[in-house]
Amino acid sequence: MNIALQTHPLAPSEYYSETKCTWCDGCGNYGIWTAVKYALAELNLHPWQVCLCYDVGCNGNGSDKIGGYRFHGLHGRVIPFAAGAKLANMNIPVIAFGGDGGTFSEGVGHLVHGLRSNYPITFVLHNNANYGLTTGQASSLTWQDQPMNTSPNGIPEQTLASMDFIFSLKPTFVARGFSGDIKLMTRILKAAIQHRGFAFVDMLQACPSYNHFATHEYLLDRYFDANAGGHDPSNLEQAKALATQVQDRIACGILYQREDIPDFYNRLLPRQGLQTTCVKEVRRYDVSEYWKDLV
Amino acid sequence: MPRISLKMVGASGQGINSIGAMIAKGLKRSGYCVFGYREYPSLIKGGHASYQLDISNQRFRSTETKVNVLVALNHHGLELNMEELKQGGIVVHVTPGWQFPEHDRKLIAERNLRIIYFPVDDILNRLGARAILSNVLLTGFVWSMLGEDIDALKSLVGETFAKKKALLELNMRCLDEGYCFVDPEQGKISVALPPPDKGFAADLLITGSQAMGLGAIHAGVRLYAGYPMTPSSPLLSFIAGLENKTHMVVKQAEDEITAAQLVSGAMFMGTRALTATSGVGFDLMSETLSLNAMIENPTVFVLAQRPGPATGLPTWTAQGGLLQAANCSAGEFTRCVISVSNSQDAFDLMPVAFNLAERYQISVIVLTDKQIAEALYTQQPYDLEKAEIDRGRLVADPEKLKALKSSDRFSPHAEGGVSLRWLPGSDAATYCAQADEHNSMGAVDESGVNTKVQMEKRLRKFHGLKAELPAPHLSIGGRSAKTADWMDSGDEIELLAIGWGSTGDVFQDIMCSDELRGRKIAYLHYTYLWPLRTEELRRVAMRSKRIVLVEQNYQGQLGMLIRMECGLDIWDKILKYDGRPFFYDELLSSVLERCADTAENRENPRDVEFADSSS
Repeated sequence: MNIALQTHPLAPSEYYSETKCTWCDGCGNYGIWTAVKYALAELNLHPWQVCLCYDVGCNGNGSDKIGGYRFHGLHGRVIPFAAGAKLANMNIPVIAFGGDGGTFSEGVGHLVHGLRSNYPITFVLHNNANYGLTTGQASSLTWQDQPMNTSPNGIPEQTLASMDFIFSLKPTFVARGFSGDIKLMTRILKAAIQHRGFAFVDMLQACPSYNHFATHEYLLDRYFDANAGGHDPSNLEQAKALATQVQDRIACGILYQREDIPDFYNRLLPRQGLQTTCVKEVRRYDVSEYWKDLV
Repeated sequence: MPRISLKMVGASGQGINSIGAMIAKGLKRSGYCVFGYREYPSLIKGGHASYQLDISNQRFRSTETKVNVLVALNHHGLELNMEELKQGGIVVHVTPGWQFPEHDRKLIAERNLRIIYFPVDDILNRLGARAILSNVLLTGFVWSMLGEDIDALKSLVGETFAKKKALLELNMRCLDEGYCFVDPEQGKISVALPPPDKGFAADLLITGSQAMGLGAIHAGVRLYAGYPMTPSSPLLSFIAGLENKTHMVVKQAEDEITAAQLVSGAMFMGTRALTATSGVGFDLMSETLSLNAMIENPTVFVLAQRPGPATGLPTWTAQGGLLQAANCSAGEFTRCVISVSNSQDAFDLMPVAFNLAERYQISVIVLTDKQIAEALYTQQPYDLEKAEIDRGRLVADPEKLKALKSSDRFSPHAEGGVSLRWLPGSDAATYCAQADEHNSMGAVDESGVNTKVQMEKRLRKFHGLKAELPAPHLSIGGRSAKTADWMDSGDEIELLAIGWGSTGDVFQDIMCSDELRGRKIAYLHYTYLWPLRTEELRRVAMRSKRIVLVEQNYQGQLGMLIRMECGLDIWDKILKYDGRPFFYDELLSSVLERCADTAENRENPRDVEFADSSS
């Protein structure tokens, strides 16, 4: 991504929106929303320079509460939309947001191929371990046996081991944040936005209305900044262990990163050496060269 | 118009397509118009497939059910295709010691057929050539039957093997052997072609898919995403095959939903992007169609039709997707449905589709079908100066961008419902492309007042679009006619046929047949199917003794839309829903039956009936 040099750092207030927040008291979205504004401002990105894409859910209800060119789409589909937007204009940082419901159920195929393709976008998972906006149904990340709306006896399915799953897809950037630590989230988001491939950011967040198991206090007691403790994000085995072993303590921070793998766009031979974007290339083309073989 | 037809049959993978393609190109360069039609089952090896070439020295675009020459690469062709031969037809086969059953022997005698056994294995053995070269031997033999010059064919084959010298020599020997072969029983046999018209020599031989691909590139499409599904796959392959020259972004997506979303994201960012699919693949894309309607994101989808329901007949043709295109997806919104008809407008309509999408900030669905996608057309080189790139109300000027307000993006007061659009990355006020009902800047607004004005904004586009779309094309006696001119001076029309898509060319050809030339037969061809213009139809219908609908679906879907829009109930229908396109001779006899009928009932023509309708 290209980030313009600027002498005066940009204020997060540039991202103010007139739309009132409607999230529940104590919702983790307030923290994530704030950290996103800080991260963009600290990267000196003006709202007109970024594209923010939101999936459906409580995260998506943030689409009109922030500045920037934004998109709020259909359930589970945000990754391919964001990828298409980015491939069309590589000069614009594209950040996609989605909940654990849309990402690990309806849109899980898109997540798989987003990682596999290593699209040059940031994906922020609003992980509150349930479907909040549809009033507290179980997601794939809800704990097994936990009673939820539509599953009063607890869900019979196993909980999806999300980090095992993510690491099985050979990611190039994995981070975890906690909605109660804005400074940590801001650091993670800045690194994610600057990452050259698909940056997967798992934001653990409270859902005070429907998640009565992994509450704000639960997360607060267990989370820690692994990088502050000396974790090296280039260490794959350690990263995997930190990411997946969350019974006692929950490691946050930049867990894994490698930059030696080209992103999807940079692997496209036809685009090698081109300075222009697909957006700039829209014009009428002479195609007579392509029909010579057909005469 | 003189017509000769030549049909190669065999198992998929045996190489009938390479014989067909080589003969087609050779004949085109010699000055003939050829039209190639493929039938094949949905499998890679085996099955029974065919490649038919219809040939003339005049421009035409249709296939006959009866052929002059049948080339059977295995004995199945001798079992299945004998009925298709015309009087005096020729059968070339490669099955040693084949004994025709009694009914075929009778047929051979009645139709005076000539049967040629071509000893392909003997020749291959003698040359030490592998079985794959049997195609080349047969190509050489067919070429000699057509009385064409061997050097022309050799130079054509030479182009293909220019870089493989060893292969080239063996190919040339096979061509010579095939060309020199004379059946000891039948002697030298030739198929008389009409005198050539050198005008065709510089034409292209192109499939509808290739034409559409070239049209898309011409229209400025810079990103293509697709998921393989016949008959849309050839477009994906063609675009991908050119990617190193066009420098386009090409993505084979993980499913149709992804392809539709990638393309929508790319269009939102501001490039031109395209996807194509078929039947149930389009079902998967339909939620994205609804999304784009709400966020007013211009998009173009190609829907390549094949028979359904479900996976239906994957490699066969249909026009069953019209109502799907016009009605699928949640909510009420403005969309545009257009259909290509042949290799000419498969090219021409791509810039048109993108211009309409951007001018109205809507989705445009471009229908094609397997017949158009895979038929081989003799096509005049395209006019590359005609198309314009019209990006509608897109704001790009820096000064104008500075003056924008967020609320300009979805302003409900915008003229014709089309508000200003500007792209992410523009130094301007920002907005949200919001899939929830929203206000003028894209913030969620569920109030009744806002919902009403935004709904009206989006649907107001329909009226502007409908008024702008070109009228259906009228031709009378095979010649283009303007509805107004006809109304002023014309006589009553004997028969008015109404159709769309690949039906059009076949109808055009039968109007020029010896049987119908000069008759007052009219054909109204719809390219722009939704919104549907019916003024011209109503006027012509009032002057027509008889009206018939011609479609390749069961319900007469265009007829249903016509009745819905103007109340005209077309009771007489020529419908086909067996996976095959209309054939020239078949459609001609259906039309002739109706003409005879009309003549008999001259005293008492059936009135044109309009049901009660407010429009």
